[in-house]
Amino acid sequence: MSIEVEGLCFSYGSITALDGVSLRLGEGAIGLLGPNGAGKSTFLRILLGFLTPEKGRGRVLGYEIGREQALIRRSVGYMPEDDCFIAGMDAVTFTSYFGELSGMPRQEAMKRAHEVLFYVGLGEARYRLLDQYSAGMKQRLKMAQALVHDPQLLFLDEPTSNLDPQGRKEVLDLIEDIVSKKDMTVLVSSHILADIETLCSSVVILSKGRVAAEGRMEDLRAIHYSLYEVKVKGDGTGFKRELEAMGCRVDETEDRVIKVYMPPEGGRMDIFRAASRAGDQIRFFTKSQTSLEDLFAQVAGEE
Amino acid sequence: MTVIREKGYYHWDGSLVERRFPWWPITRTGILLAFRKKRFKLFFAAAYLPSLVFLAALYISERLEDFKFMLRGSERVIQITPGSFKMYMTNDGLLFLLVLVLVFAGSGLVADDLKHNSLQLYFARPLRKRDYLLGKMAVVFFFMLILTLVPGLLLFVFKLIFSGSFKFFTAYPWLPLSIIGYTALLTVFFAFYTLLLSALSKNSRYVMILIFMVYLFSDILYGILHGIFRSPYMALFSIKSNLAQAGSFLFGQKLPFGFPAFWSFAVLAALCAVSALVLRRKIRGVEVIK
Repeated sequence: MSIEVEGLCFSYGSITALDGVSLRLGEGAIGLLGPNGAGKSTFLRILLGFLTPEKGRGRVLGYEIGREQALIRRSVGYMPEDDCFIAGMDAVTFTSYFGELSGMPRQEAMKRAHEVLFYVGLGEARYRLLDQYSAGMKQRLKMAQALVHDPQLLFLDEPTSNLDPQGRKEVLDLIEDIVSKKDMTVLVSSHILADIETLCSSVVILSKGRVAAEGRMEDLRAIHYSLYEVKVKGDGTGFKRELEAMGCRVDETEDRVIKVYMPPEGGRMDIFRAASRAGDQIRFFTKSQTSLEDLFAQVAGEE
Repeated sequence: MTVIREKGYYHWDGSLVERRFPWWPITRTGILLAFRKKRFKLFFAAAYLPSLVFLAALYISERLEDFKFMLRGSERVIQITPGSFKMYMTNDGLLFLLVLVLVFAGSGLVADDLKHNSLQLYFARPLRKRDYLLGKMAVVFFFMLILTLVPGLLLFVFKLIFSGSFKFFTAYPWLPLSIIGYTALLTVFFAFYTLLLSALSKNSRYVMILIFMVYLFSDILYGILHGIFRSPYMALFSIKSNLAQAGSFLFGQKLPFGFPAFWSFAVLAALCAVSALVLRRKIRGVEVIK
């Protein structure tokens, strides 16, 4: 297990950020998904020792949180969400500096900084002052400083935030390369579902400081419910009421498609029966492929 | 033989070491970054002017025959005593130039890290808060010691060289210790002073103004309060006066203000303690707003 935590609690004053989070995360690419304020960054910061949990305990790569922070930080690379750099430095100095602070010998750190900067696509700009870097370049730079000491575990906090579509694709490609070819465990925290779906083999969904769902992506897609998309004649208010009475969760899209999340005990015929009871005509019906977004919407809605 | 590798990421085959002084890269980088700042080199060089003037005075005092035209009846042109060293080390000009050096070298030490959110990068490394602070303080230590201790001790050696004997050393064997003691006090105080002000704002330009103005304003405040209350104790409000009082005590000279030197030491120590408390609160891997 790369990360094991049990009953982690943390609050910022009266606001609860984490409420009894217990997890066992293995290897590979793991997504930490949740809306803004779900507690994702707080979770990462507790693992890194920036914040001390009010309750609970945990281990990262076998090292105990709180007591063996130096060992954890030596083995973990962290790419924070915010823009962070040191003014007046160029990328090579910056990257090798943090390599050195991680415990690399100076010359090795400098050599490795060049390699990592080429890897993240900043090879040509590595002697340029960081103050002149664009948002996309700063994002790559954060990735470079997280990789410079070749960590066993990589924490990426919102790696594609503030990026244009092209920049986002490039960063995702980089992460995908790390995830697919290298024996490094990557924990990607994001509120962008598509990123997690692209990169990760397993996912933890956090909502309001609690674990709403966790597991392998395929398993999570398969469990709990079936998704149907329905269109009815009229406003369908009675139909939706009937479905909700059956325990279904119902969402309506802008183009008036009703998404029906059917619990495992229900079947497709129950939808037709509900329409019949409500006196509504079904004009369109299809069983939909469940996406992580649907799952996310469902678990977040249940909270 | 060059190893041909697959394009892309590959693992580093070295091993991480546990440093005896994990703060050293922070210090080295802080010093290098200071020298990259515009105008810093000018002020740094200017801070050696008092030393050069004192060096000239030492030379003149010992090479009388070359400067007989300056005598005009008196026996010696300049008499060099421990008091002269005290005067050189506590004079307003030197302190002013040291503050100017700190304005450039120290203002951004913490402020820039706060502004650019880089504290979280430091603390994602195997660094403790004290390593970070020590690394930043050592930048100030370096500049203060190279501008005070090094010239102070060199001037003492030059005095012996110019005089061609150890008479001065045998007469005042404690003087090197006084120089070391005073420069240590000056260095520790200014390190806390600079880091405290640097941690109070994210804008290093404000910090530059603060470093300069707090030093200056404390002296103005002393002048105003002294004018009102006519009490020598009002000098305790002035950074410069406290350093002068402590310096006089350490050089065994007559105290410039009519109160025990203990009070000046206490004020300087209290300021350092307040700085340590503020730094402890401000330096965190993540900003927590409760």
